[in-house]
Amino acid sequence: MHEYAFFLGCIAPNRYPGCEAAAIRTSRNVGIELLPLKGASCCPAPGAFGAVDLRVWYAMAARNICLAEEMNRDIALICNGCYKSIYEVNERLKEDDELRDEANEVLAEIDMEFKGSIDVYHLAELYYDPKICGVEKIRESVVRPLDNTKIAVHYGCHLLKPLKERRFDDSENPMWIEELVEAVGAEAVQYRNKMQCCGAGGGVRGFDLAHSLDITNEKLININEAGADALTEVCPFCQLQFDRGQIEIQEKFGIEWGIPVLHYNELLGLAQGMSPQELALDLHAIDCKPFLDKIL
Amino acid sequence: MAEEKKQPRIGVFVCHCGTNIAGTIDVEAVKEYAATLPNVIVADDYQYMCSTPGQAKIIDAIKDHDLTGIVVAACTPRLHEPTFRTATKEGGLNPFRFEMANIRDQNSWVHMHDPEGATAKAKDAIRIAAAKASLLEDLYPKSVPVEHAAMVVGAGVGGIQAALDLANAGIKTYLVEKNPTVGGRMSQLDKTFPTLDCSQCILTPKMVDVGRHPNIELHTYTEVEEVDGYIGNFDITLRKKARGVMSQDEAAAKGIVGGGCNGCGDCAAACPVIKPNPFEFGMAPRKAIYIYHPQVVPLVYTIDFDACVKCGLCVEACGEKKAIDLEMTDTFETVKVGTVILSTGYDMFEIEKKREWGYKQFDNVITSLEFERLICASGPTGGHLIRPSDGETPMKVAFVLCAGSRDNTGVGKPYCSRFCCMYSLKHAHQLMEKIPGCQPYIFYMDIRSFGKMYEEFYYRIQNEGAKFIRGRVANVLEDAETKNLHVYAEDTLLGRPVDLEVDMVVLAAAIQPTENIDPVRKMFGVSCSQDGWMLEAHPKLNPCGTTTAGVFLAGVCQGPKDIPDTVAQAEGAASAASIPIHTGKVELEPYFAQCLEEKCAGCGMCISQCPYSALSLVEKDGRQVMHVTEAKCKGCGTCGGFCPGGAIYMQHFTTPQIVAQIDAFLLGGEE
Repeated sequence: MHEYAFFLGCIAPNRYPGCEAAAIRTSRNVGIELLPLKGASCCPAPGAFGAVDLRVWYAMAARNICLAEEMNRDIALICNGCYKSIYEVNERLKEDDELRDEANEVLAEIDMEFKGSIDVYHLAELYYDPKICGVEKIRESVVRPLDNTKIAVHYGCHLLKPLKERRFDDSENPMWIEELVEAVGAEAVQYRNKMQCCGAGGGVRGFDLAHSLDITNEKLININEAGADALTEVCPFCQLQFDRGQIEIQEKFGIEWGIPVLHYNELLGLAQGMSPQELALDLHAIDCKPFLDKIL
Repeated sequence: MAEEKKQPRIGVFVCHCGTNIAGTIDVEAVKEYAATLPNVIVADDYQYMCSTPGQAKIIDAIKDHDLTGIVVAACTPRLHEPTFRTATKEGGLNPFRFEMANIRDQNSWVHMHDPEGATAKAKDAIRIAAAKASLLEDLYPKSVPVEHAAMVVGAGVGGIQAALDLANAGIKTYLVEKNPTVGGRMSQLDKTFPTLDCSQCILTPKMVDVGRHPNIELHTYTEVEEVDGYIGNFDITLRKKARGVMSQDEAAAKGIVGGGCNGCGDCAAACPVIKPNPFEFGMAPRKAIYIYHPQVVPLVYTIDFDACVKCGLCVEACGEKKAIDLEMTDTFETVKVGTVILSTGYDMFEIEKKREWGYKQFDNVITSLEFERLICASGPTGGHLIRPSDGETPMKVAFVLCAGSRDNTGVGKPYCSRFCCMYSLKHAHQLMEKIPGCQPYIFYMDIRSFGKMYEEFYYRIQNEGAKFIRGRVANVLEDAETKNLHVYAEDTLLGRPVDLEVDMVVLAAAIQPTENIDPVRKMFGVSCSQDGWMLEAHPKLNPCGTTTAGVFLAGVCQGPKDIPDTVAQAEGAASAASIPIHTGKVELEPYFAQCLEEKCAGCGMCISQCPYSALSLVEKDGRQVMHVTEAKCKGCGTCGGFCPGGAIYMQHFTTPQIVAQIDAFLLGGEE
């Protein structure tokens, strides 16, 4: 068992609790144990906090990292926004003495110190990493393959960009999440402009909803053209934008897509035999039934 | 070596270098400190030590105080060591009695925010230098004769120009080119900016000249295999790749009267194998026996043995000329030259790595070099620009500038490729000229029109109606039906996203050093910058030289530049390369290793350590001892540090000198 401190984030536990449940249960079946990171706060959201005051962003993220340092465990998380905050702050504070001293000055008030002793990973990259889990192990854990389904993959910007501050070598046409999708028995379909933003991140959703939905709609047009039965991602905020965004698009533009949106954890949960109730799929804005009918 | 030892008498001179040094370091305090050091007889400071009065101080001090060694604390030996050595010599001392302490580049410049620390460091540096100066000895440079011949590697426009200059100066010149013809990249271009001269028209006369020049020995389809020797005496082995076709000279040498290739092309007409022509980037066919284009020099066909099926039809077609030998193998030839010019040029960056622009994914995304061939009258389409997908004439064309250049993502290149802006402006002009109503859109980050008449050319293209959008293209998508392309970008002047539908996209791809050039570069001992471009000796004051004596650079192999700059650098390199040849001898700095034969056991361990192959074992008085070829020795000291018997004496870096420097530092001046 590889043990990690599990950083939950906000959106998964609050809006898509199935994501959280699936992460904890599915990872156990492939040799990863996610331990609760007690006392964690918001990551904090890179767009919202970073845009207002970077020092607050550094200090809050550093506090979350300190909690995992006290557990002596690397962090695993399931959201690209959290990944940007926690991973980037961790790397920057490790490299930049001045920044680290500044953050530690704030942390000293609550008797904490950032040491730079751990690493930060997205659960999806741990799933793909053969040294930790690997596609093969995922395939072996499947009891109910998602045969005859076509799934489009959305990576999400904060996972892969900026390229030079990431471990992934291709941010323009990555294929590794497709491999993870194929491992659960589905067909990963390619669609036009795959790497386009979901429309939510960077404060766009908060600042200009119509514009943000326009971008989302563009993506949905392309995903629909590719004949996908569902869309998968590895970021609850993208999930929110695609899932609830479809309702908003219907209200604002009168376009109805009806494309189910599932976090990869939820897909893996289904493939490992978890029920739709256990995955709280009824809390999704877009009905997953047409997709579930294909596999159940 | 052994000379009468007298008590050392050292003079120390501290330079202000304006405020470069004096603005950070307390020069007065440093000078006073220097005067207290052992053996220091006189200490002085001056505004600019390198100026005439500054040097006069050194000369006078030597005479007035009977000095045995000079220390100047100033900039760097790379800049002014020769200056102060000359002054030392003028004062009547051996020039190698001079030692420099770097208190500017490695001190006041980097510690400008710590005057106290910098001052302390300057005192340390002077103490160390004075300790060494106390032990310096007289040394005498050796000179070696220089072979009256030169080699130019790479026969693009730079190599051609350099070879012509050398040859016209009366020097026998070997021009080596790995391709079957000279001409390089320039012969693939249609027009040249900003004059719109036809590229081939201005290049072919020079190509013809190198083919004919009595002083030039042309080696096409040839690569450098091995390099041995040193300035003045390079022995270079060439691999003449099996061409399968003999030139008329080669045939005459074999006694075939009236034989050899005359370029008639009967062989290619008979050849049944069709392959894509790499000269046209695969957009036109060629046979297994081929020439790149009609103007090749030398006009000798070449067989692509990877494609050839050895059917023998070409041999039959060639008939009495007997030019073709299907069993030809690589041959080797060694030539001796005094100096070498590298002008190995560039290749295009593999722009398909920038997946967002869809090169090799979408038919109608092409590179600028492909555009050159498509718009060129002698190109695959006879100069009619067509879309690869359907052969239609494009009416809206987008140009993506900085495609892979100025790219900090780690995928592309961080540098500016320097000529893409200008050739893209030229392409826009050619479109509007050749296709009435055709609209070019240029997506740019900055337009860098830096040369003579370039800015005027930029205005001209603007006035002709090209549209300019400031913003690097984010991505390109294809409309599956029409094969048209959507170009997405942000217009950073309007602050608005752009979605433009065009018929064709042209990527002004970055350039990078020629593929597989590193082994060649290393054979000549030339280093490279972070980006792989060959490194010049000094970016401003010695842009043609390298750190290897006798090896010079010309053209893009040293860094991106356009044709005028390449030719200018080629002429500079030719001039620099001809100096040692015309002088007839070169002086070598006397930092040689010396073998102390009475201590040498002849074990030969030093020989395997020497990176310059300067050492060998020789028979002397009935036993084996090590011998140094002084012309090859660079004085690196590897052998001296390694010798188990302490039998190697490193001139100018002797063990006592180095120990004295270390002691001076560690003991803080205490005896």
